[in-house]
Amino acid sequence: MDGQPAGDAEERSAATDAERRSMAREAEPRPRGQETAQRPVGPEAEGRPVGREAQPRSVARTARHGPLLPAGLAAAVVAGLAAAPLFLAPFATTTLTRILVFALLAVSLDLLVGVSGLPSLGHAAYFGAGAYAAGWISIHTTSAVPLPLLAGAATGALAAAATGWVAVRAHGVYFLMLTLALGELLHQLAQTWDSVTGGANGMAAIPSAELGGEPLRLAGYVYWYVLAAALLGFLTLWLVARSPYGAALRGIRDNEPRMRALGYPTRIYKYAAFVLAGAVAGAAGGLLAAQERLVTPADLGFTTAALALLAVVIGGAGSLWGAALGAALVILVRDVIGPDLDGHGTLLLGVVFIAVVYLLPRGAAGLVRRRGR
Amino acid sequence: MGDWLDANLVGVVNGFAIGFLLFIVAVGLSLVFGMMDVLNLAHGALFLTGAYVGAAVVGGDASWGGFLGALGLAAGLGLAGGVLLSALTEPLRRRSHLDQALLTLGVTLVVAELLVIAYGDDPLSVGAPPGLDGSVPVLGAAYPVYRLALIGVGALLAVAVFVLVERTDMGALIRATVADRDMVAAIGVDNRLVRVRVFAAGSMLAATAGVLGGPIYGARPGLDATILILALVVVVVGGLGSVRGALVGALLIGQVDSLGRSLLPDAAPFVLFGSLALVLVLRPQGLFGGRGVARA
Amino acid sequence: MTPASFPGISRRRLLGAAAAVGGLAALPACGSSVEEEPSGKGGKGGKRAVKVGLMIPQSGTYAGLGKDMKQGWDLWLARHGGEFGGYKVTTVTADEGETPQTGVAAARKLLQSEEVDAVVGVVNSATALGCAPLVAEAQKLLLVANAGAGPITGAKRSPYVWRVSFQNAQIAAVLGEHLAAKHGKDGVYVIAPDYAAGAEFSAAFAKAFKKAGGKVAGSAKPPFATTTDYQPYLSKIRASGAKAVFCFFAGAEAIAFVKQYEQFGLADSVPLYGAGFLTEGAVLAAQGKAALGVRTSLHYSDQLDNPANKSFAAAYSGKYDTPPSVYAMQAWDAANVLDRALKAADDTSGDALGKALKGLGTIDDSPRGSWSFSGQNPKQTFYLRTVESKGGKLVNAVSDELGTTAQIA
Repeated sequence: MDGQPAGDAEERSAATDAERRSMAREAEPRPRGQETAQRPVGPEAEGRPVGREAQPRSVARTARHGPLLPAGLAAAVVAGLAAAPLFLAPFATTTLTRILVFALLAVSLDLLVGVSGLPSLGHAAYFGAGAYAAGWISIHTTSAVPLPLLAGAATGALAAAATGWVAVRAHGVYFLMLTLALGELLHQLAQTWDSVTGGANGMAAIPSAELGGEPLRLAGYVYWYVLAAALLGFLTLWLVARSPYGAALRGIRDNEPRMRALGYPTRIYKYAAFVLAGAVAGAAGGLLAAQERLVTPADLGFTTAALALLAVVIGGAGSLWGAALGAALVILVRDVIGPDLDGHGTLLLGVVFIAVVYLLPRGAAGLVRRRGR
Repeated sequence: MGDWLDANLVGVVNGFAIGFLLFIVAVGLSLVFGMMDVLNLAHGALFLTGAYVGAAVVGGDASWGGFLGALGLAAGLGLAGGVLLSALTEPLRRRSHLDQALLTLGVTLVVAELLVIAYGDDPLSVGAPPGLDGSVPVLGAAYPVYRLALIGVGALLAVAVFVLVERTDMGALIRATVADRDMVAAIGVDNRLVRVRVFAAGSMLAATAGVLGGPIYGARPGLDATILILALVVVVVGGLGSVRGALVGALLIGQVDSLGRSLLPDAAPFVLFGSLALVLVLRPQGLFGGRGVARA
Repeated sequence: MTPASFPGISRRRLLGAAAAVGGLAALPACGSSVEEEPSGKGGKGGKRAVKVGLMIPQSGTYAGLGKDMKQGWDLWLARHGGEFGGYKVTTVTADEGETPQTGVAAARKLLQSEEVDAVVGVVNSATALGCAPLVAEAQKLLLVANAGAGPITGAKRSPYVWRVSFQNAQIAAVLGEHLAAKHGKDGVYVIAPDYAAGAEFSAAFAKAFKKAGGKVAGSAKPPFATTTDYQPYLSKIRASGAKAVFCFFAGAEAIAFVKQYEQFGLADSVPLYGAGFLTEGAVLAAQGKAALGVRTSLHYSDQLDNPANKSFAAAYSGKYDTPPSVYAMQAWDAANVLDRALKAADDTSGDALGKALKGLGTIDDSPRGSWSFSGQNPKQTFYLRTVESKGGKLVNAVSDELGTTAQIA
């Protein structure tokens, strides 16, 4: 059994009072890892004193690198992303835009999968709902930034709120299947509700997003708009994951009965995470409508949901930034390499699925943690 | 009124034909999950392999030799596939369902693509063997004989699996493992061999179901996903790890897919997942799911 | 097992991540995305060459259609020296996939990364509609060689999107008039899958049928792509007392519907009519005997008796060992039309090509018979085809002409 003691040094150093209290009072909640969806199984999983080992190491690590390194790295990445359209041709810029949109979806899913232990197979439904809402507002009311985006986020949240209360009652594989069912139901709704969604032909010819009355036509401007909104989304999710609430979600993921015994309203916590993730996914959908200017039922289908999960797993569930990296790989394989493969894009995707599971059991995030040790 | 009754009674018969086929597909999926805690999304690919074996060996004009040969070949491929999948998933036993799901989904994509490369993109059809390829009157309307035969074969297989799991020593070990994996391991029973056997047998059933379903579904790209989703709905509605649950779930979903469409034509796209959601809202662990699996 | 017990793996994993990041660098860099680019630069001056993006499904449900289209396209080029109107042709094939998610991305790649002069193909109507703004922005021509949704060349038309194939409603309407004369008073049942194209076929059929005095006995719309068993619908058809059925199905659904229509005993008593895709190409062989006697309407059959088709069908069968389908013919015609347009156009820009297409007049050497553009959609003749056995093989024999129509509003 894999305890992965130092692997989650970062999380642990960021652990809040609530989590520490629960650690101190009881045996350590199970350390994070890929087996998040399962409760500890077998004798070796219980009661290993990993926590006491992990704490000093994490302190040592923080002292060694300081908080400056990650912050500096993040600033460099943001600066690089912001400057990209000045140097990249439109196709590369549009591809980066699609990566950002998909990354926001994947990171919001990671809040469910990695942080809260809720592996959802229907998350694309809220992405699609947000995209349709943003598209509808753009066509019928206004495409002035940020109204379609807000409409997308609100619709994503509403759809998640309407369906989430059912989903969070289920556990493990049943949660997986229930979210699959909910996602498919919304997918069918998009397919059949012609008057609003345009049915199988999709919602086409969505007007460009407008800023100060000027339509954002050039790929670079659309990119900057998407980048700004996506960074805001990433920041929100990161702050939530670091907050006491985020720590409580991790506690629920690792051992729900214990957290319940400690007096946490676990189901309400999970429900709130579900709605929040739905809102961010809806916002990502709003960005999709602005970038692609086309929304079709495929955007909320099973394939989209599965690819988002793949991105999360590639990145390493729970790290958030890893999911964004995973999203980049998925979009590159699908949109840039895929069309040239004479129809064997799915074969490549299948190989990526298999390779990731075997070669990156902790995802990209696992690589960095290991090196840091 | 008489017409209405006629139409829907035929629907009930038809629901049984589809239901028994679904049971043959789903029972392996359910037991593999129950015993090994492995969510095998490659189950649909096994069915698809069987379907293409049927299309290649049997083709449009079936003979009994060809049909039985295809069944045998598919069974062999299914056994081999099950052993391979069990080896592939063994290192992931302690990882999350999500990892297993992604791995087996990847296997599905690869297998489906290889089948397309081998047999082409066009949908293929499989004939029913001579004697079963006609129609007989059922309740005043023609009904394909093959589907009636499918009900018989499905019922026989269901009884066989039921007796095996409920009445034999190996069955007892299977049930014990489903109920409490760790306890079986802790008391020193080495159930590795049984696990591989269950995986292989379940996969064999799925692949033979591909041949059996051939005269109805044919063989085409994308069929794996259709069947996998039906099978998943069946096992989740019935409760994972339970043979009884798989049977009841399969017959129920067979009726939903057949009768549900004719009674609720406007809601037809929603009946399948609607009934899944409904069952899980009322009973979050499925109809026959035990506490042991629900907690996973 | 802690990760530390596998120190050797970490390097390989790092390499994997590095490769992933490196993928971004593989994108065509250089240039800028915040400046207006001069577009519409044609092949004037220098070497006369044209780069065409052939966007067809090579994976997913429609991959079989894509294969036929590619063969038709390649055949035309092979028989015309690889040139369109004096331009040396380079074809870049891109996989449209099954949905607009992959299709629109492929079109973007063709236009922005491959910088093709025109895009040809497109099977999925939603993809065609989704590509319209892209080609308008790039000011390039999109020549649709299959997707049949009305809005593509109707309500949502763009000056850069032209269609050489058909409009869904055309196929259904001519059959509606025909059936009204034949079975109008007895009642006809209408069935098509529950999605945009299915709705277009059903609506256009019912409109033309009722206008000509026909009586609809009932209608159904089975869920699209998830229906494999049609028994519930076949029972309803029987109960409705209809004397004929009009349907639209394609691909695997067409196989299942036709086979089950026979198995449930309807084929003997209620004649089955449909849009031509019901029995076109590879599905006909898979349907086998069950398809005998099924009647469909379409703008093509490989059995058409005209010189252009005879030479096309012979060349196609000779090269690919299978008779041409309507999809192969449409791609062949797309090449033919592009050839004529490039001959007439000043350059390869979308505007010049659009202007040239407008002035093409009658295409008199098409395997489907003579046709011309009316608006941006073909005005063409439709044929009633009956599935017959000819020399041990099933064919769509041409039994009647159903009249000529242009785009139907």
